[in-house]
Amino acid sequence: MKKIIVDNLKYRYPSAQELALKGISLEIEKGQFIGVIGPNGAGKSTLCQALVGLVPHFYHGAYGGSVVVDGLEVLKSEISALALKVGLVFQNPFTQVTGAKLTVYDEVAFGLENMGLDRAEMIERIDRALTLLDIYRYKDRNPFDLSGGQMQRLAIASIIAMKPQIIVLDEPTSQLDPQGSEEVFKAVDKLKSEGMTLVMVEHKIEKIAEYADKVALLSGGELVDFDRPIRVFSRPDLERYGVAAPVYTRICRDLKIKDEKTGLYPITLEGAVAAVGSLE
Amino acid sequence: METLSLYVDRDSPVHRVDPISKLLYILAATAIPIILPSLLTAAVVLAISVALLLLGRIFRRVIPLISVIVFVLLTILIIQGLFRAGNVTPLFQLGSLIFYREGLLYAVRISLRVINIMLAFAILILTTKPSDLFETLVRKGLSPRIGYVLSSVLQIIPQMQNTVGTITDAQRSRGMETEGSLAVRLRAFIPLIGPVVMSSLTQTRERSIALEVRGFSAKGKKSFLNEEIQEPYHRFIRWGLLLSIILALVWRVAA
Repeated sequence: MKKIIVDNLKYRYPSAQELALKGISLEIEKGQFIGVIGPNGAGKSTLCQALVGLVPHFYHGAYGGSVVVDGLEVLKSEISALALKVGLVFQNPFTQVTGAKLTVYDEVAFGLENMGLDRAEMIERIDRALTLLDIYRYKDRNPFDLSGGQMQRLAIASIIAMKPQIIVLDEPTSQLDPQGSEEVFKAVDKLKSEGMTLVMVEHKIEKIAEYADKVALLSGGELVDFDRPIRVFSRPDLERYGVAAPVYTRICRDLKIKDEKTGLYPITLEGAVAAVGSLE
Repeated sequence: METLSLYVDRDSPVHRVDPISKLLYILAATAIPIILPSLLTAAVVLAISVALLLLGRIFRRVIPLISVIVFVLLTILIIQGLFRAGNVTPLFQLGSLIFYREGLLYAVRISLRVINIMLAFAILILTTKPSDLFETLVRKGLSPRIGYVLSSVLQIIPQMQNTVGTITDAQRSRGMETEGSLAVRLRAFIPLIGPVVMSSLTQTRERSIALEVRGFSAKGKKSFLNEEIQEPYHRFIRWGLLLSIILALVWRVAA
C-alpha cells in the first residue's frame, strides 16, 4: 500500500531564482524506512517540508506537480489536517519545544489539545508515547531542563502522540552529541519495529545503511537514485554527489571484498564481517 | 528552569482559589475604593488583601514589590501635601514647608488605591501558575494564539537571555571587550544586536513550524489535558465579589 506518492514535484522558494526541487517523483510503501541523502542544498529539507505541507502552505513560492500523503493531496489540504497523517521532527530540539508548557507531560499534550481529543484519550496517548521514547521518568520536568537527546526524543514523542502514520525526520541528530544521537536512533529503531513509515534525512551514512529499506539520493534538487541502500552506496559515482559511502563499504572496496550473494560491497558492519568470513 | 513567573508554590487556601475569582478580586479591590472614596473603604480592602496574603503565606514576597513604589507614593504625599489646589488647613510644618490636611488626605487616598491594586495583582500573580491562568482565560474565550503568546513569553525570554549570554561569550572569546566602563559596554552591545536578532528570528520561525505541525492552526474546538476545577465555593466567591461591587454602586447612587 502506497503511503506517499510524489509526482513530478517542482518547487521554488519565493525569494529564490532557482528551483529547489526539479521534478521529483517517488513512491513510498507503508512501513518503509526511507533514508534521504545528498550534499547541502540538494533539496532534502525542502522535500521533507513538501511531505508535511509546509511547502507550499507555510513558505508559499512556486509549486508544481503533486504530493499525496495517505490519500490527502498536500496542495489541497491544510497543514493541520496533514499533521494527523504525517509528523515532522527537525534539527534543533530546542525550537521544537513550544515554550508554553511547564512539564514534559503537558508538552506532549499540546498537539492533542489542538486536535480536541478528550482527556482520557490524551492521557493514554501521552503515556504510550513517553514510554515508547523512554522518557516517561522525565514527565514532570520542565522541557528546557532536558538534554539535547532527551529533548529530541520529546519532540518525537509529541509527534507520535498525534498518531500520524508517517514521520519525517529532518537531520534529527545533527545538533546532538554521540550519546544523544544514539538515543534518537534507538527511538527511530523502535518506531520502525512498530511498523511506522519513516522518512529520514541524515548525514550519518552508516546509520542510514543500517536502518533504511530504500535510499533517495538527491543532488541539485533532482532525484539521482531511489533504490535499496546497497545499490545506492555501491554507485561508483557516489562521491561525485558529495556523499561518502559507509566506512565498511570503503574498507571492503579498498580490500576488494564483495558480498558473495549480491556481488556488491557490503554496507554494514555485519555485512562486512560476513563477507570477510566467506573468504576464509 | 528559569522563568519570568513570580508564582510561589505553596499549599494554601488562596492558591486553591480559581484564577477567575482572583481576577474578580482585582476588579473589586480596584473598583470599590473608587466607587466609595472614603478612607475607611480603602483601609478595609487593604486589610482584606493583607489577610489573603498572610493566608497564602506570601506576604514577605510582597514587601519588595511595595518598596518599589514607596518612592513614588512619598513623592505624591509631599507634592499633594504641599501644593494641592484647595489646601487650606495646615496640619504640620517642617522648617518653612507647611503640609496641609486636604492635600495629605487626598494623597493617602490615592496611595491606598495604588497599594490595593498592587496587592490584589500580587495575590493573583504569586498564587496562580501562569499556565493555569492563561488556560483558564482560553477556556473562557481568549484566543488560543494570545494565550500561547502570554504563556510562552515567560519561558522564552529567559531562553533568549541565555542566547545573549552565549553570543557574548563567543565574542569575548575572540578578544572583544565586553566589561568595564559604560562606553566599553555600549561598544560591545552594538555587535551583539545583529546575531541576537538573527538567531531570535530563526528560532521564532522554527518554533512556528513546530507549532504548525502540531495542529496549532486547527480550526476545531480545542480540548485541555487539565480538568477545570470547579469547587462550589468558587461560585460563591465570584458572586460575592460581583455583589459587593453592585452594592457599592447602589450605596454610592443612594448616598
